[in-house]
Amino acid sequence: MPRRKLDPLPSVAFQILLALADQPLHGYAIMREVAEQTAGRTRLGPATLYGSIQTLLEAGLIEEVDAPVQEESEDGRRRYYQISAAGRKIARDEAERVAGVLRIARAKKILRGGYV
Amino acid sequence: MSDLLLSGLLALYPAQFRREYGAECARLLRDRFREESGVMARTRLCADVLKDLVFGVPLLYASRRRALVEARPVQAEGAITRMADELRPSLGALTCATALSAVAFGCMMGWFAHVRYAREAGFLRQAQTQTPVNKFHPSSMRLASFSMMQQPVPAPAASMPPSVRDATASMVDAINTHTIVMFGETHANKQEYAWLCSLVRDPSFHARVDDIVVEFGNSLYQKSVDRWIAGEDVPIAQVEKAWRNVIGSVGPVSPVYAEFYHAVRESNQMPGSHKVRLLLGDPYADWEKIKDAEGLGPFITHRDEWYAQVVNDEVLAKGHRALLIMGAGHFRRSNGPGFIEQKLRSSGADPYLVVFGTNVVGTYDDVDPRFDSWKTPAIVVLVGNWVGDLPAIPVLTGGTGQASSLKMAAAADAMLYVGPRDSLTAVNVPASELENSEYGKEINRRLMIQMGRTMTFTLPAETQQFQRPASQQVAAGNVQRFPQAQAPKSIHDPLPPRPPSQ
Repeated sequence: MPRRKLDPLPSVAFQILLALADQPLHGYAIMREVAEQTAGRTRLGPATLYGSIQTLLEAGLIEEVDAPVQEESEDGRRRYYQISAAGRKIARDEAERVAGVLRIARAKKILRGGYV
Repeated sequence: MSDLLLSGLLALYPAQFRREYGAECARLLRDRFREESGVMARTRLCADVLKDLVFGVPLLYASRRRALVEARPVQAEGAITRMADELRPSLGALTCATALSAVAFGCMMGWFAHVRYAREAGFLRQAQTQTPVNKFHPSSMRLASFSMMQQPVPAPAASMPPSVRDATASMVDAINTHTIVMFGETHANKQEYAWLCSLVRDPSFHARVDDIVVEFGNSLYQKSVDRWIAGEDVPIAQVEKAWRNVIGSVGPVSPVYAEFYHAVRESNQMPGSHKVRLLLGDPYADWEKIKDAEGLGPFITHRDEWYAQVVNDEVLAKGHRALLIMGAGHFRRSNGPGFIEQKLRSSGADPYLVVFGTNVVGTYDDVDPRFDSWKTPAIVVLVGNWVGDLPAIPVLTGGTGQASSLKMAAAADAMLYVGPRDSLTAVNVPASELENSEYGKEINRRLMIQMGRTMTFTLPAETQQFQRPASQQVAAGNVQRFPQAQAPKSIHDPLPPRPPSQ
């Protein structure tokens, strides 16, 4: 079931995988990272963010990990997530797919102005 | 953020999801509420929450329903009842959702209406009082919103006249009320740069601004420019590398940029004057070492990123106040702020954006006579009047770009108008100074690297700024087409480490 939900990989799920590529993050940090990656165009609300996290967990593309020892906020420990090997592979496949689309767009002059 | 409000929101989520992620969702909303302060940020937060309720929550229910059905295809009657119970929000939750949505929608509309009104009214009020206003205080906003309810319904923006103000006085107000003022320029324009030079020499403006960040400056030469701008005796051949060696320009660099550098240097010599720093925002590519397109690639794709980093590191991190100058295409908004403005806003800045505009409101020949009575150079705020309602692309490009749905008010906060389109001229390095000169040879070497071709220098010292679009000239057989150069592979590479400044 999860595999079907992630094929093709939704844009939000891809952004979350990219956000987790460098290090494990908690939900709010993922939201901020995605906003940064998309120049502010995508700010995930709680339902969208944790709905996607739940789906990615069920599909084994991310996994929950222990919070760093120093992480103890005033309202308790946050839950951290990291990308799994399967998640990294799926993200790489998706990035290559997008790169292919870009190549075609450039070749067909859909992206204007060349590289300058 | 109140616990009652959070509980109400979370009651709308499926029970299983709430049990698993409710605490995390509440924490995320608290974090955002704590860190995103200010009118715009809170309005955005409201909009995000509403959007999440409208689009995200139904997906959660659909997902949960699918999961339950697939996991248990054959259900006993009792189990089906339990499943339906879990999937159906309670009456209390639905009531709460309706109330929350109505309140949030009302607040958002009130906020939007007020922000539109307050920005226009606030900016104009400053013109009369010359009193700096830093932020709209929430309590004054509530009062203003209340008083607005008692006012007659305003006429549609499209018919409201703009307040046409002296451009320099407007910019002084803008730099008093915003730590960052962004100016989207039209390259090489004589009238625009004449005004910019007078602006930096204006004592009120000069006393208030700490830094001017320019696109037309290669940051490799920051050290030389810092010394020269401060009044030191630096050979001009070294200083002019800053504007001549930018990578954003593919032809001879217009003399208007050199004049601007000189204007900043002269303004710093005013007695007792506060010193303004000219910050160079173009990446630090060294043209003397670049031999092919691969060497140039990484710099070309990171121009906006580097510019934003210069502003972040040298202006915002130091608590400075700055005028940012870059081509209008880099700054103008479209479906929200552009890349650079986003970066600055994420660092806590609240930039004010002014763009260069013309009197063309449609195709090239579609000139609007309402501009004719304006005393130039002028700046108009774009909210709530007919200028803000004009299609942005023709106005910004002098009719050489095609209109889209983007309106001026969505593209920027204010517009600089220096004269009718047909009176505007571009300043060029004349052909006589380029033919057989070292600079001319170097320009053609760079063109060959960037575009795969050279050029014959034919331009006089001054030409019309906006010429009829090429598509119309092509039909008349007047334009020569060149094949586009292949992009180097290195454009995907990150910026190389920054060498020491020269």
